[in-house]
Amino acid sequence: MQQPIKTATPIDMETRFRALADQWRWETGPLSSSTAIAAHPAYQEIIGMGPAAIPLVLRELQERCDHWFAALRALSGENPVPREFAGRVPKMRELWLEWGREKGYIS
Amino acid sequence: MTLERYKEAMFPNLNPGEYRVTSEASPVYNCIAWAAGDDTDWWWPDPDSGNYWPDAAPFEETLESFRAVFESLGYRECATAEREPGFEKVAIFVDDDGLPTHAARQLPNGNWTSKLGKWQDIEHQYLNALAGSASLYGNVALLLRRRRTLI
Repeated sequence: MQQPIKTATPIDMETRFRALADQWRWETGPLSSSTAIAAHPAYQEIIGMGPAAIPLVLRELQERCDHWFAALRALSGENPVPREFAGRVPKMRELWLEWGREKGYIS
Repeated sequence: MTLERYKEAMFPNLNPGEYRVTSEASPVYNCIAWAAGDDTDWWWPDPDSGNYWPDAAPFEETLESFRAVFESLGYRECATAEREPGFEKVAIFVDDDGLPTHAARQLPNGNWTSKLGKWQDIEHQYLNALAGSASLYGNVALLLRRRRTLI
């Protein structure tokens, strides 16, 4: 008999996201290279989750400031950070959270 | 104060008693910014992350680009990491592929200050405390110096 196809539920996805985010934070802590930070396999797996991961990333960014900007750009195809704020991490965080609220991803 | 054990383990040549932690951990600035005297921005030439990179340097992840950054700040290549009165020095580390990984800045007392990624800043007695084949940062590939300005 054919087995039913199991699809990821939102809870599965959030659990997986949390595990990946923890691993990424732990293993990229000493890195300065944005390229290496974003190339980490856990980060890439999160990007691979697609746009459904956007609210999870934004909630994580609400909880703690970290380098989620490349993931958000990849997941959304957008960039609300003007060049004048390049590298200004607290401002980049603020602008992405504002973007997330405007888009209805977070409250 | 010293680093947590798991952090120390990333740098086999970093010995307790030869360094001290000088800041809280922060994702706001990195080693390149800190070596350049900036603790408000994250500097890296990566088009996807949206981080800061000075216009004076090529927007590419090469040692030459990192050299150009510090040359734009008045540094010039020098031969040794030894303390020279009147000068401050910066060291650029690269990995086995020649990709930049880290920068450290020499303090007036001859010690070095390094921001460890998103972790803390440390003051370390020896530049090579963060270098070596088993170190996360690889080895020093470039030393630069500039005249220290009196404040």
